[in-house]
Amino acid sequence: MAVPVLKDYIGGEWVASLGTAAGEVRCPATGELIASVPLGTAADVDRAVKAAREAFWEWRSTPPLSRARYLFRMKEVFEEHFEEIARVLTREQGKALDESRGEVRRLIENVEHATGVTTMLTGYGLEDIAKDIDCQAERQPVGVFAAIAPYNFPAMVPWWFLPYAIVSGNTFLLKPSEQVPMTQARIFELLDEEVMLPPGVVNLVNGAREVVNGILEHPDIAGVSFVGSTPTARHVYARCGATGKRVQALGGAKNCVVVLPDAVLDKALPSLITSFFGCSGQRCLSGSILVPVGAAYQPLKEKFLAASRALRVGDGLDESNQMGPLVSAAHRARVLGYIEKGLAEGAELCLDGRDCRVAGYPGGFWVGPTVFDRVTPAMTLAREEVFGPVVSLMPVPDLAAAIELVNTRGFANAACLYTQSGPAVREFKYRAKPSMVGINLGIAAPMSFFPFGGAGHSMFGDLKAHGREIFQFFTDAKVVITRWL
Amino acid sequence: MPLVNFGSILGFAAELAERDQAFYRSLAENPRLAEKAALFGRLAADEKKNRELLLRTRRENVTEMILEPVEGFRREPFVGERGEVGALTLPAALALARHGEEKAAAFHAQAAAKLSALPEVARALRNLAKRHQARLAELA
Repeated sequence: MAVPVLKDYIGGEWVASLGTAAGEVRCPATGELIASVPLGTAADVDRAVKAAREAFWEWRSTPPLSRARYLFRMKEVFEEHFEEIARVLTREQGKALDESRGEVRRLIENVEHATGVTTMLTGYGLEDIAKDIDCQAERQPVGVFAAIAPYNFPAMVPWWFLPYAIVSGNTFLLKPSEQVPMTQARIFELLDEEVMLPPGVVNLVNGAREVVNGILEHPDIAGVSFVGSTPTARHVYARCGATGKRVQALGGAKNCVVVLPDAVLDKALPSLITSFFGCSGQRCLSGSILVPVGAAYQPLKEKFLAASRALRVGDGLDESNQMGPLVSAAHRARVLGYIEKGLAEGAELCLDGRDCRVAGYPGGFWVGPTVFDRVTPAMTLAREEVFGPVVSLMPVPDLAAAIELVNTRGFANAACLYTQSGPAVREFKYRAKPSMVGINLGIAAPMSFFPFGGAGHSMFGDLKAHGREIFQFFTDAKVVITRWL
Repeated sequence: MPLVNFGSILGFAAELAERDQAFYRSLAENPRLAEKAALFGRLAADEKKNRELLLRTRRENVTEMILEPVEGFRREPFVGERGEVGALTLPAALALARHGEEKAAAFHAQAAAKLSALPEVARALRNLAKRHQARLAELA
């Protein structure tokens, strides 16, 4: 049977890409080819930017509340199609269905938060800043914004940006990951059929590197939101700086999860397991290094290993499974390469997920829960982002040593602490560099009304995703100083 | 089959509601049980609402922060074989319904405990457990 060939969405129409190359989208659980995605070019970007520019002035002058009403409609539509979107997501990305549902929920929460535009965008003023002179600060939309999205959260991440950009009066271009383009294709079908935004307000261009560079170099794109690996985030940040664009570039992570001896282990364990193995470790908030402090080491290691062994790995669409496959064969090979490197550098492999097999799914991209002990700070496993279900145990003697370990990873995305000690919590949140800190939970994921993004090598730019400040990213502060003569 | 996470528990709960809806509808449409047709019809309608409530609860309360594995919970104890209902007498139909309600009440109460980290979900499940429990008197 012929696989569907995806199209671009430009100016309110589904159009064939101008690019001649194509990529394959494969179901990670079966390895089956499920779609063909065009690998567009800078010409596709240009076509989309023209449509977005044409739409800008009319959309910009639409009252904010009217713009927000499109978002209310989006929420209704996404609620109606919730399960369907989650299933498309799991089929192309592999994560467990509950994880996909959680992701779609996060998408909707961003739409909900963005509907507060009439409050969030209000300016402020002051009379008599000098004799008979008044001053007013207003927030104005800027123009065309673009987002470049990663493969690990194909539904949610584009919506950290899209609803805020358009409700603020901008127009928008999205490049989904070429590995997982089907979720946004379905979402854009729903926007087209049931939300009916004015043509050109939102646009979607499929592709890979050429489209990314087309976005970064385009003179009519005012700003770029990026989420992906640190090397690419660095590139995006540099090119946006060079071309004078606003930019928020969120990169990778190496998150430590610190467990003190007073932690309530039995209560902590389920969230620890979710932290390290949820989404098969393919998220920037995943735990990567498990740091037992002092006497926590032995009981934590035993319990963590037992719980890791008990995880059910399999097709994410089967709800009796708890962990799905990795996104692609290439990524599986990369993760396996890190495991080999861990062994070669002398770490002790306590649980080996390399030979993970799932009955009935011989073509899936499986890697089972994997746990290393005796990982040292200089080893590759302790320094680089693995982005898979691979845990490095790194025991330390005290909290100060744990914080030192957290703060010397280079990345500074998230860190978690399990304890019952108030002073330890204060010390940790006060001194740890990562921007997202979890206390007695393993995934420190800010909801849509709080900012999302790290520090260090985990983020380039200053205004983070969603939260209150996202409205600043998508608007310019105009100050009007008035005197009547 | 184990119920290992939030989605599988809520999905099974919705499946039970759908099954009960079909069961009560078939009782309501059975001429041999006409005396209680209104009661069975109402219970079928209630189960439709329960299923919608469960699906909405699943949709609106799933969050990645607390998608933690669930242990020691299985479907089997809560699934009753009902067989062919066409030939049932009224006392047998009522007994079968009561048996199903007891299982449903137990399931929802235990599910609420398993998902106690999600207060809105636990509350919805506890309320359903109470509703199933209350039906036992109606079906006496």
